[in-house]
This record gives sequence, C-alpha cells and structure tokens, in this order.
Amino acid sequence: MPANDGAGTVAGQAQHGVKRPAAISAERGLDWFNLFVANIQTGFGPFVAVYLTTQGWTQTRIGLALSLGTITAMASQLPAGALVDMISNKAAVAFFSILAFTASALFFAWWPTPLFVYLAEVLHGFSSCTLGPAIAAMSLMIAGPRALGLRLGRNARFAAIGNGIGAALMGACGYYFSSQSVFLLTAALTLAAVLPLLPLARLYEPGRPASRREKSTARHREPIASVLTNRTLLGFGMCAMLFTLGNAAMLPLAGNFVTKRAESEATLLIAAGIVLPQLVAAAISPALGRLADTHGRRLVLFLGFCTLPIRGLLFAAFPNPGMMVAVQSLDGVAGASLGIIGPLVTSDVAANSGRYNLALGFVGFMIGIGATFSTGLAGLIADRFGNPVAFMSLAAAGVAAAALVWTAMPETRPQ
Amino acid sequence: MTALSSNPVRRIWSAIAAAAFLAVAGVSFDAPAQDRPARTANDVPPAPVKSGPPGPSYLEPLYATETTSILGKNVIGPNGEKLGMIADVVVDRDGRPRAAVIDFGGFLGVGSRKVAIDWNLLKFDTEKRDHTAVLALDRREIQAAPEYKADAESAEMVGPPLVESSSGDAGK
Repeated sequence: MPANDGAGTVAGQAQHGVKRPAAISAERGLDWFNLFVANIQTGFGPFVAVYLTTQGWTQTRIGLALSLGTITAMASQLPAGALVDMISNKAAVAFFSILAFTASALFFAWWPTPLFVYLAEVLHGFSSCTLGPAIAAMSLMIAGPRALGLRLGRNARFAAIGNGIGAALMGACGYYFSSQSVFLLTAALTLAAVLPLLPLARLYEPGRPASRREKSTARHREPIASVLTNRTLLGFGMCAMLFTLGNAAMLPLAGNFVTKRAESEATLLIAAGIVLPQLVAAAISPALGRLADTHGRRLVLFLGFCTLPIRGLLFAAFPNPGMMVAVQSLDGVAGASLGIIGPLVTSDVAANSGRYNLALGFVGFMIGIGATFSTGLAGLIADRFGNPVAFMSLAAAGVAAAALVWTAMPETRPQ
Repeated sequence: MTALSSNPVRRIWSAIAAAAFLAVAGVSFDAPAQDRPARTANDVPPAPVKSGPPGPSYLEPLYATETTSILGKNVIGPNGEKLGMIADVVVDRDGRPRAAVIDFGGFLGVGSRKVAIDWNLLKFDTEKRDHTAVLALDRREIQAAPEYKADAESAEMVGPPLVESSSGDAGK
C-alpha cells in the first residue's frame, strides 16, 4: 500500500468529533478518487467494441469479449463484495482494483489479441466489483451513517464531473489521434488515481474514530443468508433492477436515432447527450444527498425514478435530435439519485452487519441484471414495433420502479 | 489522409506488418506461380516427411501494393468525410463479396449503427496500405439505412443511387 506507515499515528492523536486536517484531506482524496475512477471507466464502456473493430476483430469475437466482461462482472458482484468485507483496509482494495484497471488498459492498448483482451475484460469486470463497494465503504468510514447522504452526494458530484470530462477527453482522443490512445490515456489516468488514495490509506490505521465502525464489524458478521434475505434490501434491489431495465437502453436508443436523423453534427449531439446529464448530476448531487439525509431516501429515489417515464414519453412524443439531447439531460437526476441512494439504503440496512460490501454487491448484481436485459429487450421492441413503442416500454419500466418505491419501500433513514 | 491513419503508432505497425509480409512474399519467389504444375482434384500433396511439421504445398504472393486487409479499415465519403469503418463483409453463395457492413457514426461507441452497403460502391486504394476505403455515397445517403443484423433472416443493403435521381457519378 502506498505510504500508510507513520502517518496514522499523527492522525491517531486527533480527537473524535473535530474536523481534523487528516479528515479533510481524506474527504478531498475521496473527491478526487471518485473523479478519476469515473474518468477511467469511460474507455471501458461501449467504446471497447469500436476499438476492437479498428483492430480488425470480427463482430463475433467482439461480442464474445463483451459478454465475457458482462458475465464476469455479474458473477463477481457477490463474491467480490464478500471479499471486500473481509479486508479492513479499503484503500488497499481500491489501490489494487485501480492496478487491475491499469493492466486492463495496457492490455487493450498494446496487445489487442484475444488472450489479452479476454484477460483485460475479466480483470476489469472483477475489479469494478471490488472498487465500487470499496468507495462506498470508505465513504461510510469518513462520514458515518448519519451524514453519509451528504458524502455520497459529493461522491456523485465528482463522479459526474469525471464522467463528463472523461467522455469529452476520450472522445477527442479517439477522434483526433487513434482509438489506441484512448486506452493509453486511461492507463495514465489510473496512475493519477492512485495519488488521492494516499490520505485515505492513512485513515484506516487502528485506533481511529473513523475506523471504529470497521473494527466492530470485523469482529462479528451476520450470516450471509440473513443479509441476502433482508426484505428491505431485496425490495430495493427490485426497484433498482426495474429502474435500470428502463434506463440503460434509453441513451443507446436515443443515440441511434440521432445518428439516423440528425441533419449534421450527429456525433456532437450524441456527445452532448452524454456530457449534459453529467453536468446536471454534478450540479444537483449534493442537494440530493442532503435531501436524503433530511427528508429521507424514499423521496429522493422516487423523484429520480419519476424522471425516467417523463424522459421515455418525451422521447416518444418528440422524435427530434435536438429535443432528445435536451431531454436526455434529465438522466442526470435519475443517475445521481440511484448513485446516492443505492449505497445509502444499503448502509441503512447492512452497515452494522459486517456485510456492507456483500449487500452492495447484491444491489450491483440486480442493477447488472436490469442493464443486461434492457438494451436487448428495447432493441427487440424497437425492431418490431418502432422507436416510440420501445421508449414507452422503457417508460413503463420506470413507472413500475417508481410505483414500487412509493408503495413497497420503507424509509430507512436512521432517526 | 485522415487524422486516424496519420497516427504514427499505426503507421509503424503498418510498416512492420508490410515488412513482415514482404519477407514472406519474398520467400515465395523461389517457386513462381507459373512454374507450379497444375493441380487437379486427384493430386494429393506428398505426405509430410517426418522432419518438420506439415505445411502448405505451395505459396502464392499477396503483394502489399495489390491487396489489402479490410476489417476495421476506415471508410470515408466522396468529400473526405469520415463515415465509419468496415465491421464485416457479406458474401453470396459463391463467396463473392456482396456488401460491406459499416459501423457508422456514434460517439465513444454510443449511437453507432451498422449498415450494409453494396460492395461495388467501395473503392480501395491498395497503393498505400493504410489508405481508407472510399465510399461513393455521402453521410446523408446512408444514415437512415436499416440496421444490419447478421442473424436476421433477411436484411437490406444500400445500393447505388438510381440513375435518374443521381447527379451522375455517384453510383459508378
């Protein structure tokens, strides 16, 4: 681990309840870490298919590589969560996850051969499953359960900024240089992402107030079955799954339409459709996090989920490229609210069980199921019945998700 | 020359590939194609001798100046606008190319569409190995084409513009 020796004693002398310099630098470290992680993830998305095509890969093999990544990520969620629960130094987990990203990015850039690409997909799929929970766990350690909403709002703000910058930077790289340079840039960014981890590594020295929770959870763990059969967690997982089922295909479907219909500058319009929602998310995330702390998780999640059917109906009603980009910016509200409320509700349910990361893995698994089926189903519907029907079906999934939140999800905010 | 193909790393790789290729092609000069006896279906190549693995019975050169690999090659329009890249080639029953599947548009992989284009509308300049393929149609003529799906029972490709509606040279 980078530089965790010695520093802990300095911070360890600080008193509980006072904003210590170490705590402030940990907060800032987490801000930057969220930003860089979001940056890094940009290149591993749908861009992989573009890149492998430029490398002369056949479509069948590209499909195989992408499926391998998806399957790995799905299969890793729960085991990775259980693994992260067992490691008390979450900054170390984050560090090694980032190293795996470095390796994946370099494999893609330097050896786009099947062996290394499959390896890169597996590495990336697994380490995504350890990184997300590690970030949430570090947030919980820094903020504590009562102020976690605020902290997660901050995470979401910096992640959104990172997503926006990443998309712009890597899109420009791919356009003006080469698609290979996108992965070289990604690898360089993983090195930058290690720096903000330094203050976070210090925070987990034993005897620190922030790590008291971690120590207590390390002692006793609830059985895995009792965490995974928790009704609140199952219910929330269903909500998140339904929402993602409706949400994940919106952007690809809208983007496809823009490519088909835009008079000119279709590429710029799609880029705007990716970056604008991130600007919206960056602007409102802290407010959403605060709202979750003061007025409850249900309200924020419900507000966020409600934007999905609105978006679907507007897409169906006004099929026009410019309008689509504008409407897509609502995705910022939905994305931010799920990004904040997911780890928050999971913390309300499982923070004291010693199985927080396993529970996060479960939520991630449910979101993964929704995402996997979303694009396939929407594509089928769009082929058979046209885009408006596909958008309305996605909107219907959003209505179901919002209704489920309103009727079945209990408020979990600690009193 | 597009921005993508002028990237130095790609150029180096192309040069290495071409050099390796020429080395292989050079070896095969020992047995020029015209000296090779005509093969019939009954001709069975002699069984490989024990020393060494089995290999092809003869090799023919594929000159870098006359041939090119095409998967992933950039496609540009008549005005030099970058349209996309070749993702697949569709052949007919006799194995002759009928259509090129072009991955068209999009940003970082979002919103790109695969459309099939009549093979005859593509021109390849094999003089320079990393030259892009030139399509005789521009963006507007292919952007609304139906999405090509390899597993569908039937698909449609974009053909040359009809003579009366075209301005003349686009479909040649």
